[in-house]
Amino acid sequence: MRNISQWFNPESPQEAAQMMRDTKGKGCYLAGGTDLLLENRTDFEFAVDLSATGLNEIARTETGDLFIGSCATLHDLETSPLTHEFADGAIAFAAAGCGNRPVRSTATVGGNLCNALPSADMVPVLLALDAVVFFTDGESQESVPLSEFFVGPRKTVLDGSLLIGLAISGQYANWKVISRKLTRTVEDISLVQVAVGLEIESDTILRGSVAMGAVAPTPMRATEAEVLLIDLPLADAPVAFASVADLTAATCSPIDDHRATAQYRTEMVEVLTRRLLCEVAGIEDVKKYRGEK
Amino acid sequence: MIIELNLNGKQVAWEISPGDRLLDALRMDQGAVSVKRGCESGDCGSCCVLLNGEPVNTCVVPAVKASGQEITTLEGLAEDELMKKLQSSFLDSGAVQCGYCTPGMLIAIWARLNTGGTLTEQDVRHALSGNLCRCTGYAKPVEAILKVWEDKS
Repeated sequence: MRNISQWFNPESPQEAAQMMRDTKGKGCYLAGGTDLLLENRTDFEFAVDLSATGLNEIARTETGDLFIGSCATLHDLETSPLTHEFADGAIAFAAAGCGNRPVRSTATVGGNLCNALPSADMVPVLLALDAVVFFTDGESQESVPLSEFFVGPRKTVLDGSLLIGLAISGQYANWKVISRKLTRTVEDISLVQVAVGLEIESDTILRGSVAMGAVAPTPMRATEAEVLLIDLPLADAPVAFASVADLTAATCSPIDDHRATAQYRTEMVEVLTRRLLCEVAGIEDVKKYRGEK
Repeated sequence: MIIELNLNGKQVAWEISPGDRLLDALRMDQGAVSVKRGCESGDCGSCCVLLNGEPVNTCVVPAVKASGQEITTLEGLAEDELMKKLQSSFLDSGAVQCGYCTPGMLIAIWARLNTGGTLTEQDVRHALSGNLCRCTGYAKPVEAILKVWEDKS
């Protein structure tokens, strides 16, 4: 941030994206700025401030889809009635667990996605809800599923385009969704994140989703494991959930670092996935922990 | 570049660099020394002020972002009745030891108390989740705040 020489205040997303193109790689979008100031990056000279672009809207469309503007703050997500009434309030819950109260006043959901850390706290729950992200290069607008948005640690498909926001289909409004993360202290970076969602009708699970964060180069879905959740009678769920959890843990590829070992992270993916699935489905977790059969 | 903003009820304008943090702009340029420099990474809450009534950590807010906005530091609340009560309660309860985290803590809880609603111990701890204190172990500040709340209601 120290070597920023100029500050731009575009008044529309299109103008912002065009300004960014004009900076020829020397610019950086700035939403809340919490990550940028923290990292003290020196690789850009121009800040393209998104405050005036009007991207902080949270809305439900006529078809029931939930739209979240990229500049909505985490505090907005935590407190909006619209996020509370959608999918068990899972998005509001995830937002309330990010950083701390003063940071959530300025940190935005778009910033959390675009910074593209493998451990970004908002991502697993949005992945589990099949969020679609929208972005513009200043001329046309494009969209991709969130699952295709991340291409590596700190890398997204954006390439200078501006993230406008994300949408979640109204069909997920009645899903039961829970996300959880493990951290050393409440404010620390996540060691493991898991989010699960289930669509339940009477005594059958119609389909479900399992998403993970901080256990692979990018946040990811456990697509193979999810197959086991299709048309699953609740009576068979305890056994099936154990298999889903094992398969999910087998899909992730965490690293060893000073926070935790890969082995621990893998183990915790299994435990969290199983517990959350049981919690969402409202059934007892029969397997207390791995190894105790 | 010049930023113009409402600081503690007064319209002020001064020269900053585009990359400056709000923390330095308030503390060094405007002499608002209640804004403490702590972790400088948004974790400890010592530099907490109100930006349009919302608590923010000024070490992770670019100074330019405050342009045209309303900033309240602890200095601006010196004559506020609720703040006075909080301050004396902090003193009475022994919630101030080294005192470095106190301004941030007072700002954070003042903002929470002004949003209304009920206040449980859990709510107090949630509101202070962004304020690290290495002396008191939080028990005394929580006690001091709940005392103010009980007297008020």
